[in-house]
Amino acid sequence: MIHEWLSRVRFFCTGKSRRDVDDEIQFHLERQIEANLADGMSLHEARRQAAISFGSRQSTREECRELRPSFPFEALVRDLRYGIRGLVKNPGFTFVTVLTIALAIGANSAVFSLLNQALIRALPVHDPDKLVVLSYAGSHPGHTHSSGGNTPGHAHEFSYPMYRDLREKNVAFDGLIAAAPATVGVVWEKRAEAVGAAMVSGNYFETLGVPPAVGRLFLASDETAEGANPVAVLSFDFWKTHLGEAPVVGKELLINGTAFTVIGVSAPGFHSTVWGQMPDVFIPITMQRVVQPDRTYLKDHQSYWLNLVGRLKPGIAPSLAAASLNALFSDLRRSEFPNLRDHSERERKSFIDSAHLNLETGAQGFSPLRDQVQTPLKIIMGMALLVIAMAVVNVASLLLVRAATRTREFSMRYALGATNAQICRQLLAEGLLLGITGAAIGLAIAPQALKLLIHWMSGRSAAQPAFSASLDYRVVLFTIAATLVASLLFSLAPALQFWNPRLSDSLKQQSGTGVGGLLRFRRTCVALQIGFSLLLIVAAGLFVQTIRNLREVDPGFETDNLLSFSIAPQMAGYAQSAIAPVEQRILDSLAALPGIRSVGATNDPELVDDDINGDVIVTGYTPKPDEEFDVELPWISNGYLQTQGVPLVTGRLFNLSDTANSQKVAIVNESFAKHFFGTPQAALGHHLSRPHRPSTDAVIVGVVKDVKHVTVRFPAIPMAYTLYSQAEKPTGLTYYVRTWQNPLAAENEIRSAIANIDSRLIVDALSTLDDDIDNNILAERTIALLATTFGALAAVLAGIGLYGILAYSTAQRTREIGIRMALGANRNSVIGLILREVLILAAWAIGVSIPIALLAARAIRSQLFGVSAAEPLVYTFAILVIALVATIAGVIPSHRAATVDPARALRTD
Amino acid sequence: MPPSTDLLQGTLDMLILRAIAGEPQHGWAIAQRIQQVSHDVLQVGQGSLYPALHRLEYRGWIRAHWGNSENNRKARFYSLTAAGRKQLEAELENWQRLTSAVNLVLEGI
Repeated sequence: MIHEWLSRVRFFCTGKSRRDVDDEIQFHLERQIEANLADGMSLHEARRQAAISFGSRQSTREECRELRPSFPFEALVRDLRYGIRGLVKNPGFTFVTVLTIALAIGANSAVFSLLNQALIRALPVHDPDKLVVLSYAGSHPGHTHSSGGNTPGHAHEFSYPMYRDLREKNVAFDGLIAAAPATVGVVWEKRAEAVGAAMVSGNYFETLGVPPAVGRLFLASDETAEGANPVAVLSFDFWKTHLGEAPVVGKELLINGTAFTVIGVSAPGFHSTVWGQMPDVFIPITMQRVVQPDRTYLKDHQSYWLNLVGRLKPGIAPSLAAASLNALFSDLRRSEFPNLRDHSERERKSFIDSAHLNLETGAQGFSPLRDQVQTPLKIIMGMALLVIAMAVVNVASLLLVRAATRTREFSMRYALGATNAQICRQLLAEGLLLGITGAAIGLAIAPQALKLLIHWMSGRSAAQPAFSASLDYRVVLFTIAATLVASLLFSLAPALQFWNPRLSDSLKQQSGTGVGGLLRFRRTCVALQIGFSLLLIVAAGLFVQTIRNLREVDPGFETDNLLSFSIAPQMAGYAQSAIAPVEQRILDSLAALPGIRSVGATNDPELVDDDINGDVIVTGYTPKPDEEFDVELPWISNGYLQTQGVPLVTGRLFNLSDTANSQKVAIVNESFAKHFFGTPQAALGHHLSRPHRPSTDAVIVGVVKDVKHVTVRFPAIPMAYTLYSQAEKPTGLTYYVRTWQNPLAAENEIRSAIANIDSRLIVDALSTLDDDIDNNILAERTIALLATTFGALAAVLAGIGLYGILAYSTAQRTREIGIRMALGANRNSVIGLILREVLILAAWAIGVSIPIALLAARAIRSQLFGVSAAEPLVYTFAILVIALVATIAGVIPSHRAATVDPARALRTD
Repeated sequence: MPPSTDLLQGTLDMLILRAIAGEPQHGWAIAQRIQQVSHDVLQVGQGSLYPALHRLEYRGWIRAHWGNSENNRKARFYSLTAAGRKQLEAELENWQRLTSAVNLVLEGI
């Protein structure tokens, strides 16, 4: 078998020359003539008999030739060469089709690359299929520090003691790792900046199988005791882009003012077990106090902050592992229960009885970002696929029109003995040629398109985007598959047309005699194009309307000339007691800057998808049984509400008489007052506090209007503002500065004012509130932008496709039109005749597509805001666009037909 | 001309392989040989001989080289390769089985 193949390969390369075959045949004939002569024939007769007995020399030659292993390849090359000649002769047609394919393939490759990165690609770690993400059902009383991604029954944050117990007592895992994201201040060569960090367990890199790029990574011995492991690992990207690949091992790095020794750099490509988180620095979990000095997470059973990922032992099924872990988890919860504050039967039920550990496949990691982007990405992918479907129909109809003008060429080839297969091969070769050229250009522009897309998606945020602009093998495979399928589809259309035509008919065929099948196919193409573009234009309309609605949402306060930035003094190494004083100094010096109207600060920034919430106990209010009512609990400075311009409803705002030592005060919003007291006036004078924390008791002194807080998408939530200076413990703040003029013009002044106070303070995430809102609706903006692009592309493609078909069919009817005009029809009635046909066809197509569009729009309902999936305005707009496109595509060829001199039109063949 | 007996599909290959099993032969001689040995019953269509030879060569069962013919002219001689010899054995065995089976049937009825 191998031998056979080898011999074929040899002949594929060398083959047998035509001369060899000819020589061989020549020898045979001569030998036969000799034999005939020997039998006594005359020379003439001997030659004649030899030739007769041999038969057709030419067909023997051809047969030998076709046997050559390289023959199919040679035939392909011949077809391709012929195809190229044909395409070069029609540059306009070639340009339009190749461009259409390139745009469709480029868009699809780029979008698929995003989809691949977010939903398909596994983490770049050793054997990712063995990883499982842990989450649990059951109550978690205490403090939860979450970066999102939780659903009912699937809380992803565990306490450190729970993690230690699970790690040490389980029998299912080769390793169980823990990690929590954070933001820290890093000083390297006197340059301070805020960077993303991850607190990780000592076995993190080992269990994942991530190797070091430089130095070494953490070991179990780097997680010994609280505060005892000041060592850091850098991410490869951070090391490369921020430190210029400087030798770092053994060097000192200040993190939040604490000296850490850099021990190594992690492998390139690895970021985190959580897709979308891009920590620059890894520190051991035991150094948690450096990151959050105000929290004692390590010993606390009721602080939930760690994401757990386990590596299953070989041969252990996830279900078996889950069963054994659940027994352990249940025991651990039972032993934790006596330490809870609440020992009620209800709490026992929700803490122990309904506790359940889930093991979810972790090859792609746990990712709140993925949850956010997957629906938008799927919608975008769906739109991109519609674009490629459109492109296929478009190119198919153009090819068909082109093939129709080649009827005689093909009839001639049939007459000369070409077989169906040969004609089909020729057409497929031409189609593939177009497809591959277009796809190659598409793939070449895909990285640029991807870069642009990522740029749109990351908005103005300075953070490193989770997506990378590189195409991996899956994208290339996808592109190849899409190209082949698309090319086959659009080449098949004309191939079918020429499958076994009635030869004599088509040879005699005159223009003007439309073939039934062709006509039907053309109509189908037009209808499909109109249908696809209607879908895309409707989607574009709905998303643009969504964006318009989101932008028009009134957040409840003035957003213009408002600048925000955060400063966390602990990142500069400030001790707990020094934080509040420096924050007061910052507020004072900002307020003194010229050009600044007012300034305020909060620990809970507005409209950035962040929240800090919890339940409160309110005097004079009896909670309903089992009531759990979480309210937003920002700590603010006393000028904050004034700076934001949140209107006061009743009572008073905070003022200078409210100090750290005076009676603690609170201001609630209308939603809060309505829930607990019915009216704003009734709220004044009541006290509120956090459960089990009597020191948080504060008296309500004012009620303000509701504002949108987490996002502009959701209605306002109940809020209770308290003073940061009266808070239990100090924390970093986000400052809001209202300026007289362009807020960004104040940036330099602000930065130098802060640097004057302390050059170690890091001004982070500086942006205007308008930008914050834009970022807040980034997903919708990206979809709207892409939908608009795709919708416009669809309209243009439909226009080109319609024009191609109409130009052809009108040209076919030149004679008919000539007769009509000779009989007295005027130009306008001829144009009207053709336009009417087009518009009737368009109307049919629209009529069929609208129910489909309505169904498709239901699928994207979750991404719409303030607009119904059946919004008549959007559909009207889409219909108008299509009618306009169809009219333009129809007017040009019909006008051309109508200006033809009837006498000449009649003489065309 | 005696009625040409249609060669069964694949038998031509076997006959060619058998014809050159002894010593290398050129195309004309192969045709002659098959015709003579079969007492003119089997006429190899000369136009189909060469494609068959080429097919066998591409499959690696026979190999060709230029040599001098009995009338001292340059001719292409074909000889069996090791793979070809194995193929011939297999085909012969197959043929024996087939013919004896057919004979059995014919005699039995």
